[in-house]
Amino acid sequence: MHKGYLCLVLHGHLPFVRHPEYEDFLEEDWLYEAITETYVPLIAVFERLVADRVDFRITMTLSPTLISMLSDQLLQERYLKHINKLIELAHKEKERTRWQPGFQDLPSMYLNEFLSARDTFLRYSCNLALAFKKFQDLGKLEIITCGATHGYLPLMDTCKESVRAQVKVAVSHYESIFERKPRGIWLPECGYHPGHDTILKEARLSYFFTDSHGVLHGNPRPKYGVFAPVYCKGSGVACLARDLESSKQVWSSIEGYPGDYSYREFYRDIGFDLEYDYIKPYIHPDGIRINTGIKYFRITGTGNHKEPYIPRLARDKAAEHAGNFIFNRQKQAGYLYDFLGKKPVIVSPYDAELFGHWWYEGPLWLEFLIRKIHFDQDELKLITVPEYLSENPRNQVITPSMSSWGWKGYSEMWLQGPNDWIYRHLHNASNKMTELAKTYPRVNGLTGRALNQALRELLLAQSSDWAFILGTGTHTDYAIRRTKDHLLRFSRLYDEIKQGSIDEGRLSEIEYKDNIFPGIDYSVHQ
Amino acid sequence: MAKIKRVSLKSKAKSKKASRKKTIPARKLEEKKDVLSRQEVAIEAGKFSHAKSMAMQDYSKETLPSEYGRETMVLAVRDPWWLYTYWEVKGSTWDKHKSELKEEFYKAKRILRVYDVSNIVFNGLNANRFFDIQVREDASSWYIDIGSPGRSWCVDLGILLSKGRFITILRSNIVETPIDGPSWITDEEWMIPDDMFARLYGMGFGLGRSSPAGGVWRKGVISSPGIASMASPTKKQLPRSFWLEVNCELIVYGATEPGAKVTVQEKPVSLRHDGTFTLRFALPDGKQVIPVKAVSRDKLEKKTITPVVNRETK
Repeated sequence: MHKGYLCLVLHGHLPFVRHPEYEDFLEEDWLYEAITETYVPLIAVFERLVADRVDFRITMTLSPTLISMLSDQLLQERYLKHINKLIELAHKEKERTRWQPGFQDLPSMYLNEFLSARDTFLRYSCNLALAFKKFQDLGKLEIITCGATHGYLPLMDTCKESVRAQVKVAVSHYESIFERKPRGIWLPECGYHPGHDTILKEARLSYFFTDSHGVLHGNPRPKYGVFAPVYCKGSGVACLARDLESSKQVWSSIEGYPGDYSYREFYRDIGFDLEYDYIKPYIHPDGIRINTGIKYFRITGTGNHKEPYIPRLARDKAAEHAGNFIFNRQKQAGYLYDFLGKKPVIVSPYDAELFGHWWYEGPLWLEFLIRKIHFDQDELKLITVPEYLSENPRNQVITPSMSSWGWKGYSEMWLQGPNDWIYRHLHNASNKMTELAKTYPRVNGLTGRALNQALRELLLAQSSDWAFILGTGTHTDYAIRRTKDHLLRFSRLYDEIKQGSIDEGRLSEIEYKDNIFPGIDYSVHQ
Repeated sequence: MAKIKRVSLKSKAKSKKASRKKTIPARKLEEKKDVLSRQEVAIEAGKFSHAKSMAMQDYSKETLPSEYGRETMVLAVRDPWWLYTYWEVKGSTWDKHKSELKEEFYKAKRILRVYDVSNIVFNGLNANRFFDIQVREDASSWYIDIGSPGRSWCVDLGILLSKGRFITILRSNIVETPIDGPSWITDEEWMIPDDMFARLYGMGFGLGRSSPAGGVWRKGVISSPGIASMASPTKKQLPRSFWLEVNCELIVYGATEPGAKVTVQEKPVSLRHDGTFTLRFALPDGKQVIPVKAVSRDKLEKKTITPVVNRETK
């Protein structure tokens, strides 16, 4: 008997990294790796499920920065170049490893993956956003939006105009890509601040997610814990909270799946392991060794000794882990059903890039999970939030608590020694942007262009990714650079607009560099 | 409107403070969340792999201004226990106070006055309570340990004169910190008995004790040995002080007439335009017999050369 619902949420996001001014830019690889290792494998899973007529529901964020990069022609061309090189390398690897015991099938496995990545990429006219759109149009995927540039909203609360701009720019960008309005939003870093739900309501968003304590510490106490939606007091926007039990199974060090010894070892990449002259054409032109994505070993154990990866074993494990996940969710749902007297909804959100990039077998696990849910049992059902809400329209009204899914559950990841300096600059720019939008209502022409670009620069500076990287304390140069570049470009535009002396040449240059959100309207920043 | 009732979570505790310790242990919860979120940090950081230094030739040498020439004081919530504030005061403001206070100014302390303004409309004088933090003159930001979650706060930057007079220079915005546990307030329409809520609360956090799912998993009914003794999903590489790795590769290369067909160990090899070829193999221990065969374009002539290579690692 059907006893409860599982709402799987994959949060897909990468910061906007696009440097037309360089031939090769290391950080652009974040996108290329995620395409090959995460987005294409997920699309392949969805394609196989649809082909086999397996009904499923997945909720997926595609952040506006990610969509913008997926739809960008320059990055598309560069990805093709990137994947072609990987294909060349995989061919060489097939030959090189011919005598190595245990390695025989691995280069072919990668070669096939790279070839199918290229094939998938080309089949969707080099724009994978269209692939995800297809599955949304088929009713299988519920694509939700996110902050325009993934700005961490709780630390923007003193500049609500910026919160509004993050939300509204995202919503209109979504509409221009998916030809419908988004119904839900993934608040960047799951960062909720009471009151921001009214801004979501203005943008006609009907639901968002928080971490467990966002609802559990809500006021008044939520009767169904995290296992039913609540409506935010004042706005009526629905809020659903993460179930940590199911999160834990996927990424905890004690109980999590991805660390299983049969799974592929993330840290042994031939970009670091192989002889320098041989690998040089496939790493960074400056000679910096980087991950290529070709990794031959399984986790093996706790030591440094690693055994070759055996795909068949890993596949069996992924199937077993999917079965285990379902078994536990069935127990959980059955227990909650009796306990609550209604069908619970278990919300399990994950970073999409966990699947494939970090946890190589993740997409396979997801496929097994969905197939098993469809074919092997009838206690659990996959569901989207709008479906659940139309079945259960009556829910408790509470004020969720400020929270995030980051380290320690609040704002510390983005507000600590190494990154707190950014807020005085970000807030100053936000206030100046508000002033500009007020002083120059409905301006077109050159000034209008400068105002729109000013908002682009502000939004780009606000990406939580820069604060996050600064907070981790390693390889921070790029994050500092991006924060400074966008803020400096913003202040210069501000001064030029105020002085009425806009340098068109320079404006065109930064419009070309930071070309995100072509349809942006600066007047949303109010 | 639902009636509001105050209840404690598990036992009827005497005070809020005492009961916080008794209820679903916030500490334990924090630990759990902390372990989990550290892993999430590691995983998210994995998205930004090899974010190493980049050649930044044209990288702007301009720096951000240290001040914007305005008066501002912003207060933000870091978590239920800590606030963060930054401020900027115009030089002219200090000058004004210097000229008014003369000697006194230099003896005065630079103070953050932190007001608890919960449930009131704060007018500067009616705070529930306040406490002072002395800050250095060159400080422009501060983390404030507020000690009690779920309250509203406002902060003044000011100077405290030796006679106890406090002069406000700047006043921050008001913020509200989140509570650090479940709410004490329930509504009648959506009542839930305390013990039931306590169980739900634990389940939501995946504490396992109250959840059958967690129990089954922990007992290892169907867990794999790999998981029970798992490396760690953050897959941290073990620290090692000194290490050495040696691998061998073998390069087989040669040349024949352009247009000839060449196989190495029965597998065809593509020739460069000038008839040369190069192959590279990872060379494991043991004997490799490597017949290289060439057949002329007109298939009339054949040649075979067979290098034999032994690798032995001692």
